[in-house]
Amino acid sequence: MSNDAQAPATDKSEPGPKKAPFGVVFLRYMTEANSVMVTVYSLLMAFVIGAILLIVSDEYTRSTFTYFFSRPQDAVYASRDIIYESYLAVFEGAILNLNTLDRFAAGTAELGDLLRPISETLLYATPLIFTGLAVGLAFRAGLFNIGAQGQLIFGMMGALIIGFSLDLPPIVHIPLAVAAGAIAGAAFGAVPGVLKATTGAHEVISSIMLNNIAALFLVWALSTSFLHSDTKTDLVSKSPDASATLPKLLAWLNPSLRVNLALIIGIAAAVLVWWLLSKSTFGYRIRAVGFNEHASQTAGMNIGRTYVTTMGTAGGLAGLAGAALALGVGSTGITTNTALEYGFDGITVALLGRANPAGIVAAALLFGALKAGALSAQPDVPVDISILLQAIIVLFIAAPALVRAILHLRIPRGGLVTLEAKGW
Amino acid sequence: MAVDTAPAPATPAALLDEKRTRKPIGGAVLAVIGAVIGGFALGKLGDRSVTFTLNLTLPDASWTVPAAPTVAILAALAAAAGILVAIGVPTRWFKLIMAAGATCLALSLLCWAMSQEGVVFRIESILAGALFLSLPYMFGALSGVVCERSGVINIGIEGQFLMGAFFGVLVASITGNSYAGILGAMIAGSLLTLLLAALATRYQVNQVVTGVILNLLALGFTGFMYDQLKKTPGYNNPHGVSNISSWLESIGLGFLGDIPVIGPVLFRQSIFVYVGLGLVAVIWFLLYRTRWGLRTRAVGEHPAAADSMGVNVNRLRFWNVAAAGLISGFGGAFFTIANNLAFNKNMTAGLGFVALAVMIVGRWNPLGVLAGALIFGFTTQVSRYLDTAGNSIIPGEFLQMLPYAVTLVVVAGLIGKAKAPAADGVPYNPGDK
Repeated sequence: MSNDAQAPATDKSEPGPKKAPFGVVFLRYMTEANSVMVTVYSLLMAFVIGAILLIVSDEYTRSTFTYFFSRPQDAVYASRDIIYESYLAVFEGAILNLNTLDRFAAGTAELGDLLRPISETLLYATPLIFTGLAVGLAFRAGLFNIGAQGQLIFGMMGALIIGFSLDLPPIVHIPLAVAAGAIAGAAFGAVPGVLKATTGAHEVISSIMLNNIAALFLVWALSTSFLHSDTKTDLVSKSPDASATLPKLLAWLNPSLRVNLALIIGIAAAVLVWWLLSKSTFGYRIRAVGFNEHASQTAGMNIGRTYVTTMGTAGGLAGLAGAALALGVGSTGITTNTALEYGFDGITVALLGRANPAGIVAAALLFGALKAGALSAQPDVPVDISILLQAIIVLFIAAPALVRAILHLRIPRGGLVTLEAKGW
Repeated sequence: MAVDTAPAPATPAALLDEKRTRKPIGGAVLAVIGAVIGGFALGKLGDRSVTFTLNLTLPDASWTVPAAPTVAILAALAAAAGILVAIGVPTRWFKLIMAAGATCLALSLLCWAMSQEGVVFRIESILAGALFLSLPYMFGALSGVVCERSGVINIGIEGQFLMGAFFGVLVASITGNSYAGILGAMIAGSLLTLLLAALATRYQVNQVVTGVILNLLALGFTGFMYDQLKKTPGYNNPHGVSNISSWLESIGLGFLGDIPVIGPVLFRQSIFVYVGLGLVAVIWFLLYRTRWGLRTRAVGEHPAAADSMGVNVNRLRFWNVAAAGLISGFGGAFFTIANNLAFNKNMTAGLGFVALAVMIVGRWNPLGVLAGALIFGFTTQVSRYLDTAGNSIIPGEFLQMLPYAVTLVVVAGLIGKAKAPAADGVPYNPGDK
C-alpha cells in the first residue's frame, strides 16, 4: 500500500546530482510518519488534548461556555487564560521561573535561585532514566517489564539498609549502598523472569502483582523497629548516614539545589546499557531473543536463562533508581510516598525513548520536567496532568498508524516503527 | 510439573485397567506442610477455641470447638491427601483428592487464625462477603473472556474499572440516580475499549503495549478529573444501590432471606451480585450456544478460516471488544456505587490485573471464571476479615498481599496448562493471508 508514496520519493532522491531544494526536502520530511515526526506530532497532539481537558474540567471556564453564543469572547478569553496559566505554571516549575528571572536581572536573586527549576527537573529525571532503562532493556528481549515500581521499592530498601547500618568512609559507603540497591532490585526483578522461564507465567501479570506486594511490604517494613525512624512517630524510615548520602552537584551555588550524584550515575548507566546492547554478547543475545525467540533457540541460545538475566539486569537498573531516591533524600528518610510513580513512568519513558538508551535519557528529561512542573504547580493544576500527558504521548507513539491517519501523513520507506510485546 | 502415570500394582484385578496418577513431590510437600501445621497446632494452641456463629439469621446460635484438635484434624486430613497423592491414586479421583487436601489445609489455617481471642467465625457474613467481593473479578474476567475469545488481549481492565468507578459516581452525583450512574460507568468503560478496539483492529498496534498505556491513560485521566472536580463539591457523592432483600420483602418473599446460610448469601445481596451471576450464565450461553458465539470463538482461534467462511473478522472483534467495555465498566461501578463509596485516585489497586488472572484460571470460560472469582473473592474476604478483626499473628499488610500472592501462584501454576485462544493478541489483516 506504500507503492504510490514510494514512487515519487525514489524519483526525487535516487538521481544523485539533482537535489531537491531544502524546503521541499524539509516539507517532505515533515509530512512523513517517520519516528522523529511521529514523536513531534505526538507531543503536540498530547498538549492540545491536555488543553481541551483543562478547559472542560475547569468550573469557571465551563460556565463561560453556557452563554457562548451571546458572549463568545468570554469563553475564548477564559479558555486562553486557563491554558496559558496552567502550562506556564508547569513551565515555570520545570525550566525557568519568569518572576525569578526579573529579580535576577534586577540583582535581587542569585544564579542558584534561577537554576532551581532546572535542578528540580534533573532531580526528577534521574530515577526516570533508571526505570526507563529498566523497562527499555527488557523490551529489547521482547519482555514487558511493568514491575519497575516494585523493583525500585526493593532497591530503595536495600540501599537504605546498607546506608544506615554500616559505618564506613564515603568513598566505600556510597558505592556499597548503591550496589546494595541494585542487587535488591535485581533479585526482585529476576522473579518474573524465573516464573516466565520455568512456568510460562506472563511477565505483565506477575510483575504487576509483585508491584502490589512490594508496596505493601514497604508499608510493613517501615513499621518494623529495624527500619523505622528512631526520632519520628509517623511512617518514616531511618535516614542514611551522611557518609552514604549522595553529594549534591550544585551545592556550591546554593545548598538547596537538590540534584545529586545519581544523575551522573544515571547517564553512566545509559552509556553502559548502550554498550551492553550494541557491543556485548549478552546484549546480542537479548536482541536476538527479542527479534525471534524460536530462531534464537534453534541457534543454541538458552531462552529461559536470557529471560532471567534480562529481567535481573532490568531489576538492577530499577533498583538503582531506588538507591538514588533512598540515598538522595538526605536526612528525611523514606516514606511510602518517596517512590511516587517512577516505576510506572519508566514505561512511558521507555516507549517514548523507543527502548534505546539515548532516547530514554531524552525522554526522562522531558518527563522529569513534566513531573517537576506538575508538582510545583500542584494546587492550581492537578498533579496527575503529568501522567495524563505522558499516557497520551506514548499512546500516539505506540500507535504511529493512528498519528498517520489523523494527520494524513505518508508512510516512510522502512514502514512504521513500533514496539512489540508478546501475548500469553 | 511432570505427571507420572505408572500402571497399578497387579493385585486387584479390577484396578488393572485403571490409570493411576502419582505426584511424589507435590504430594510430599502437602503432607509435610499438613504434618507441620498439625504438630504446631497441638503444641501451640493450648486451650484456645474457635467460635462459629450464624450472625445474620440466628444471632443466638453459636458453636465453640477447641482449636487445637480441630486444626490438627484438618491438617492431618490434608497430610493424608498429600500422602495418597504421593503414593498414587486413580486418575479420576486425583483432582477431587487434591482439592479436598487443599481445602482442608486452607480451613485449618483459617481456624488457626480465627482461634484468636475475640475473633468469631461469622460464617454467613464471610460467605456473603466473599460472593460480594468476587464481583469485580467476575466482571473484569468476563470482559476479558469476551475480548480474548475474539482474539484481542485486554490488559486494560484495570483502566476500565477506574473509568467505570469514576464516571459511575460522577453521573450518579449529577443525576441523583444510581442506575444512571451504572449506565454512565458502562459507557465510560466502553469508551476505553472502543479505543482499544480501534487500535487493535483498524491500526493493528500491539495490544499488550496499548493495554498498559490505556491503564495509565485512565489512571491519569481519572486522577486529573478528580482533582479538578474536587474544587467544586457535589460531584463525588455516591448513592449506593439497594439490596435485593427490600424488593423480596415487597413481593412477600422476605422469608427467603431468613433461611440460615443460604438466605444471607443468596437473597440479601446487592443487585450487583445477581447481575454478575446472570451475566456468567448469559455469556456462557451466548458463547457456546449461539451463532454469535461460534463466530466469536472461530475469530479468536483461526481468523483466516472464519474470514473465508464469510465472517468479517475485524468488525466482529471491534464490536465484541467495545461491548466487553460495558461489562468491565459495570465492574468499575462496583468500587463506588455498589460499596456506596466516593471515588478515590487509583482505588482499584491492581484488581483489574487480578481479574486477568481469574480469566486465566477460568480458562477463558465463563463458568471457570465464576469458580475462579469465588476463590479469589473468598481469599479477599478472609484477608479483610482477619485484618479488621485485629489479628495479631500475621501483620495486616501480609493479609492484604494474599490476593496478589495467590494470583502469582495461580498464574505460575496454571498458565502453562491453560491454553489461550490460538489467535489471541494477533492482529488480523485480511490483506496478508
